[in-house]
Amino acid sequence: MATVKRCSTAYKAVFYAFMVVSVIITLFPFVWMLSTSFKSPGEIFTRQPTILPQVWTLAGYKNLFAAVNMWLHLCNSVIYAVSLTALSVLFNAMAAYAFAKLRFPGREKLFALLLVTMMVPGQVTMLPVFLILKSMGLLNSYAGLVLPGSAAVFAIFMIRQFMMDIPEEILEAARIDGFSEFAIFWRIMLPLCRPIIATLTVFSFIGAWNDFLWPLIIMLREDKYTLPVALASINGQYNTDWGLLMAGAVVVVAPAVLVFLLAQKHYIKGIAAGAVKG
Amino acid sequence: MTFKNTLAIAVLLFLCHPPKADAQSRQLTVWAMGAEGKLIRQAAEIFERRNPGVKIVTQAIPWTGAHEKLVTAVVGDMAPDISQMGTTWMPEFRAMNALEPLNGFISSSALDTGDFFPGARESNVHREQWYGLPWYVDTRVMFYRTDLAAQAGYNKFPEDWEEFYKFSRALKRSKNGGYAFALPTNDWQIFLMFYWQNGGELLKATPVPYQGLWPSDGQSAPLTAGKFEETIAYLKRFFDEKLAPLEGGHDTDLLTAFESGYFPVFISGPWMISELEISKPQLNGRWATAPLPAGKKRASFMGGCNLVMFKSSPRKALAWQFMEFMAGPEMQAKWYAASGDLPSSRKAWSVPSLSGNPRLASFRKELDTAKAPPQVPEWENIAGNINDAVEEAVFGKVTAQAAREKLSARIEKILVKSERQQSAAFKIALSLLLFMVPVCAVVLYLRGRRASVGGKCQPIAILFLLPAVLILAVFLFIPIVASFIASMTNWNMYGVNDWTKIVFVGLENYVGLFGDPVFLAGLRNTLVFAFIGVPVSVALSLAMALALNAQILRAKAFFRVAYFIPVITTMVAVAIIWRWLYNPEFGLFNLALERLGLPAQSWLSNRWLALPSLILMAVWKGFGYNTIIFVAALQSIPDSLYESIALDGANSRQEFWYITLPMLRNTAFFVIVMTTIGYLQFFAEPYIMTGGGPLNSTMSVVLYMYQQGFKFYNLGYASAMAYILFGLIFAFTTLQFRVQKKLERTF
Repeated sequence: MATVKRCSTAYKAVFYAFMVVSVIITLFPFVWMLSTSFKSPGEIFTRQPTILPQVWTLAGYKNLFAAVNMWLHLCNSVIYAVSLTALSVLFNAMAAYAFAKLRFPGREKLFALLLVTMMVPGQVTMLPVFLILKSMGLLNSYAGLVLPGSAAVFAIFMIRQFMMDIPEEILEAARIDGFSEFAIFWRIMLPLCRPIIATLTVFSFIGAWNDFLWPLIIMLREDKYTLPVALASINGQYNTDWGLLMAGAVVVVAPAVLVFLLAQKHYIKGIAAGAVKG
Repeated sequence: MTFKNTLAIAVLLFLCHPPKADAQSRQLTVWAMGAEGKLIRQAAEIFERRNPGVKIVTQAIPWTGAHEKLVTAVVGDMAPDISQMGTTWMPEFRAMNALEPLNGFISSSALDTGDFFPGARESNVHREQWYGLPWYVDTRVMFYRTDLAAQAGYNKFPEDWEEFYKFSRALKRSKNGGYAFALPTNDWQIFLMFYWQNGGELLKATPVPYQGLWPSDGQSAPLTAGKFEETIAYLKRFFDEKLAPLEGGHDTDLLTAFESGYFPVFISGPWMISELEISKPQLNGRWATAPLPAGKKRASFMGGCNLVMFKSSPRKALAWQFMEFMAGPEMQAKWYAASGDLPSSRKAWSVPSLSGNPRLASFRKELDTAKAPPQVPEWENIAGNINDAVEEAVFGKVTAQAAREKLSARIEKILVKSERQQSAAFKIALSLLLFMVPVCAVVLYLRGRRASVGGKCQPIAILFLLPAVLILAVFLFIPIVASFIASMTNWNMYGVNDWTKIVFVGLENYVGLFGDPVFLAGLRNTLVFAFIGVPVSVALSLAMALALNAQILRAKAFFRVAYFIPVITTMVAVAIIWRWLYNPEFGLFNLALERLGLPAQSWLSNRWLALPSLILMAVWKGFGYNTIIFVAALQSIPDSLYESIALDGANSRQEFWYITLPMLRNTAFFVIVMTTIGYLQFFAEPYIMTGGGPLNSTMSVVLYMYQQGFKFYNLGYASAMAYILFGLIFAFTTLQFRVQKKLERTF
């Protein structure tokens, strides 16, 4: 918080102890996944999961890169996740701006209607969406892969809630200065929404990055498979090469962590706050 | 989105059949699953060498999504020429009219169909017509620890039921702790093997159509009276005498339990040989396989895969050539060498690598008498009901006889087909009518009494809304209306690829759901899950976000990432770790209880503990998501507010109540609404960890919907479920909005 408070050392110690324990709890499976990707098969299932492999091996990674064309599927995944994220941020932020800051008839009603659609479990609409794409001739195309997910009520809702907290005075000042609505959106609102846009970027990217069933059923050819689909296709029906599977999991998770690391830099204190004063 | 466009798309939805891809005469597309999908390349190369000019495109489909992929490929006109197909999926795809009949090809071919194992033939032949060729087979045998058996005084594995029971008792007595036999309470495959061994029959005479099946002569029935009860009685002894765990079958890692001797005996298939050799090399020489102990006769389970040709293939002669090549004894023996999959051809078994392998001898013995489950398209649904019936009976909730009668009634109900016919004109008219009702309702709702717009209207808003709203209209709104219409039809696997088979049934699905005990259990569990999970998760997220925002915290980026990691960690890794935490034999939670002097618990297989255990896991996995949203929102609170209240001498608690919380209002509201919606759609945890068991104590609405929709292809029924859940979520969200409005007025 803003004011500097004197905190006793004891308080600090308890606080840090709490933080460290909670981090151990949240990180443990991830660390185990990382270390397991370097273990030999006999070491993976033991009575006590071990943090460090007794014998380090790169076999999991070697098998992984031998089994699938990693670069190809990585490329497919990047294309899918980046295009979906870019469209999603743009479309949803635009709609959210209209819902939060522009006046038009039926605004609240339309918004309520969108919220209602969010309450229908997504699983039942999957097949109808598939049939619509079929009728539009968009099966087995990037448009069919990306478009259905590029607008999301969840995202509109999230950004709208954030934008509503941005003081109206800023916009009024800009309008008086002769800014068009697009300029206000692009040059004022988006920068002010950096933390939430970063959050949406992370959510969209990770959603698309980990998506399995949709890219599998929309894309026909194996050379269009995204990374999770390609990795899943290595496993047998009953046999699982756990070392390889965990190596695959690390390769899939690493870019997601990277995106999050980049995005969380935008959680900068006081952009909006500074704007209010100025 | 205008009316015209909406209509045009709706009509397209019903009428459009895109043209077929043109035939390239010498190229074949072949799909195979998982490891087979990669290895089949080797077979394809041999075939290409022998048939110059032919090109075979092989493609690996992941097992996890294979069923969905094949169904959507058929529906989307994207099916390959040939595909691998699980034996239990055959009738479904036949019902969808997707498979090419093969008798014509077989009669003019040198392929000896009599060479296949009888159980492998069963899944390919329907009313004397072949629809596929057996590719490879698997069957179930006993895996046991020879050292522990010897310690109990047995140098040879028992050969019949009674001996096996005595052996299990001796085994349990001779060791400390653990059990004698890993016998699951809800595995239809294992139950069926015992039932068949006891002389039981399942859907013995299945005339088609199923209407009028099993006349009330007291003799014909889906299940054999008496045999079912005897089988249950035999298996129940193992549970009652603690030779097998009634609780705890699910959450133990089988290989580790086999190594420790906790489970010295289990039933599994041929893949387990290499699994044991690779994962537990230290056990080599201390285990063996044996044929299943015989009851009144021998019977194991016939699994494996077939190769099928799709009706849509434009190159059927060439496709047949490849299938014939793959199913023949020569290639079958080679395939074993490449993949370890057991040949379906008896001749192929004469090669030394197969006939000389002692561990395979028990498989070879079982293959002659192994049986495939009945060839009905509704099999998956029937199998699920067998699981439930057996589980209820061994838990002692109902008598074996009552379980059989209930199961028989369920099976008859599943198999009875509606004879209803509706004309195409009637169906199209009704669909359009049903489509127009919500569309008109929405239009009226939006146009009705114009909401008073404070100040001037800004038409430019349309441009901002256009992309998102257009996409949502096409890919969300129309599918929602379509699935709502589907909830009033009998849309099932017969109708997936053939619109004419769909008929309107009114509210039948909805009425049926309220008499479906599994659905009602799912509804109850879902509510419990949300009522406990949402407050815990939101409170935890807020607390963690505040901690992350605390001024004394250094290395904020690190902690932010750490809290978000559970959200992005692969579910597979998460599941393994949580299974270990909950392991009844050596899990961390039980170790902790032990330290405290409390009794160990079966976290995931105890009826009362399973749901709370999953809630804990879900909260762990999901709280980081909301934490990040709160962190983002905390950044936007102006420092000036804190400065001014500090000047008034406020302490940090007052800061929280008077500044932080009110400023987080909009975000918190969003988080609560979204989390409630998410928790009411609870799915991933029970799907991966418990499959809804034990005794449906962790079944959720969405999991049941997924099973009905994507496993049994009762799409109409699944859609109805979605709309009941929708009603529930709608009620909750409306309530939350009301509360928020009220709160806003009070502040």
